[in-house]
Amino acid sequence: MSPREQLRKFISDTFFVDDFQDSDSFLKNRIIDSTGMMELVAFLEATWALKLADTELKPENLDSIDNLVRFLERKQSAR
Amino acid sequence: MCGITGFTLPTGLKPRERRDRFGERLRAMTAALRHRGPDAQRGVLLDGAALGHARLAIIDVASGHQPMRDEATGVTLVFNGEVFNYLELRERLDYPFRTRSDTEVILASYLARGIDCVEAFVGQWAFALWDPRDGSLWLSRDRVGVRPLFYAVTKDGLSFASEAKALFAGRWLAPRLDARAVHETVHLWAPVPPRSMFEGVSALPPGSSAQYRDGLLTVRRQWDLDLSDEVVDRGMSEARALDEVGAALTDAVKLRLRADVPVAAYLSGGLDSSLLCALAQEQLHGTLQTFSVGFAQARYDERAFQHEVAKALGTAHHAVQVEDADIGALLPDVVWHAEQVLLRTAPAPFLKLSRLVHEHRTKVVLTGEGADEIFLGYDLYKETAVRQFWARQPASPHRPKLFKRLYPYLPLSQQSPEVLRQFYGDGLEAPGAFDFSHRIRWTNSGRVARFFAPAFVERVGEHDPVAALRDVLPARVRGWRPLARAQYLELHTLLSGYLLSAQGDRMLMGNSVEGRFPFLDHRVIELAARIPTQLKLKVLNEKYLLKRFARGRVPAIVTERTKFPYRAPVAEALVGPHAPPWSREVLSRAAVDEAGVFDGAKVEKLVAKLAAAKAQPSEADNMALVAVASTQLLADAFLSRPRAPAPAHVAAVELLEDVR
Repeated sequence: MSPREQLRKFISDTFFVDDFQDSDSFLKNRIIDSTGMMELVAFLEATWALKLADTELKPENLDSIDNLVRFLERKQSAR
Repeated sequence: MCGITGFTLPTGLKPRERRDRFGERLRAMTAALRHRGPDAQRGVLLDGAALGHARLAIIDVASGHQPMRDEATGVTLVFNGEVFNYLELRERLDYPFRTRSDTEVILASYLARGIDCVEAFVGQWAFALWDPRDGSLWLSRDRVGVRPLFYAVTKDGLSFASEAKALFAGRWLAPRLDARAVHETVHLWAPVPPRSMFEGVSALPPGSSAQYRDGLLTVRRQWDLDLSDEVVDRGMSEARALDEVGAALTDAVKLRLRADVPVAAYLSGGLDSSLLCALAQEQLHGTLQTFSVGFAQARYDERAFQHEVAKALGTAHHAVQVEDADIGALLPDVVWHAEQVLLRTAPAPFLKLSRLVHEHRTKVVLTGEGADEIFLGYDLYKETAVRQFWARQPASPHRPKLFKRLYPYLPLSQQSPEVLRQFYGDGLEAPGAFDFSHRIRWTNSGRVARFFAPAFVERVGEHDPVAALRDVLPARVRGWRPLARAQYLELHTLLSGYLLSAQGDRMLMGNSVEGRFPFLDHRVIELAARIPTQLKLKVLNEKYLLKRFARGRVPAIVTERTKFPYRAPVAEALVGPHAPPWSREVLSRAAVDEAGVFDGAKVEKLVAKLAAAKAQPSEADNMALVAVASTQLLADAFLSRPRAPAPAHVAAVELLEDVR
């Protein structure tokens, strides 16, 4: 499974949504709430062995499938 | 406080025929409300109407029987609740009173003024009155909806009852969940009145009266909250506001201590109930009994505060501890009494608490609901104020940071200004929209709709809960300020549709206890509307005026503490190792699919997620779980295995051909 597919499956399984676009904002569309963001971060850290700094917890990194994929690519190429 | 029920029937029948055709139906309906009035159950079959009454005797225990009839006109009344100023009203009425009851004061008031007599009532009531002079059956309900009243219009006429279950016991219609009501409840916490949870059953909206005559029903609103700028007394100083609030609250408590049985009080450990207890204790000269809920789980528990207040006020204090397992064990009865889809388990502890009160042979309690609504105590009001301030400069990077002050307990990941903007910026471009204050909450709870079964979604169709609410709002409300609109919406959705009903009346009456609500005295509500906003919500200091008034009357730890939202355990109480026996059955994939509201496969995944040992349920997960569990329990108790009144209780209803 590609990271994109893995992310979509996680979002769908954890937050019980199927009907969303890769570009949809999780927060604006209420796909994820405050505790949901914690779950997402824990999933990213566990799945790709990352550590996220507080400064990285922002919508342009985390707030849609597209943003997450771009963020992951940046993180991994920086290693 | 009591239960009432009844229906219209054809005129011109002989007494014998009336009894044969309608006697058992009236008995069954009255028996279905026995928990509301265990002291006596009586019904009368009149020429044109049947009225049933289950009595919890509180005022004029010896002679205040119902149904009650006026000899001269034949006007007959069944009444649930209290008209607290009945002594003052009585003095102004020219009527040959035979009892000391408030029931007879309603009868005499109606004879003097017609249905508009309710405008002079200070109280909490639901009544039905048969006027044989023109063949009208009147229904009336108090201003904010403390007492419930449901009705159904069928081909046979009008039937009514304090709870919908009595209509089903009378076989006026078969229970069927109203898909639109379920949809509205998962967004707004309650159906939009007059819709109830059941198809064909309507709720009489608070502050309204209805006349049923010649097969026609006319519903009219007789009172509504006015929060427009014009009512605000801009010149009111803090000192004068304090004086007026003090006088109004003291009188509201004084009237609510009127009873021929002892009046006790609920004590949560928060500001509102502590203040009420202080005022009541002063008037009762030290004989007040207080009752509280404590939680085994420390994060929900407020016992330290309750004990402190009880000790300082010198009340005789009783507390009951709620374990996680209690929530699951109580929920089937909670849903049976509430007759509603729920989003929280918070009503359950109140059912256990009213049992404690009942065990202490106490029938009446004062309780603090309404203070947060009218004196601006909720975070929702602060959120609205911040959003309004931010909406004036939407691009400001600083204004959204105010949410950090508002919700310091939010996880770190939510706290960057960009995240706050995404989350709280919704609708910022339209501060004039009627739902400006509530859209974040409603969108959040509306996430429960994700769990609906596809076929159910089809049944719901294009129905939009927020639009349905907008359509019943008076046009003038839209011209009010955002905070005023927020208050109006709060009173007309959460307060009357959930806090006073599912979490209030039904949990109290489930154990035959009457709640009395001094903050919901309409004179207090109207006074609060006149007080300038900045005295109630002082920047971000909620209930400022009430705290000032409480200072010196209740212990400082109460006036100084940060507001603590009342919550009860959810996931840990309903699934996992402490799950109640019913949970596995009604939450199973097959049972959920069978009920047809939610998607069994999705619910199975949700339950698995929440039952996991390290589960950290989100707010959305918890709400969805309670919505599913309560819907399943509702379907079970009303549709699959309907609970009928016990035959012995039906037989115990005394049937009269005439009353005096």
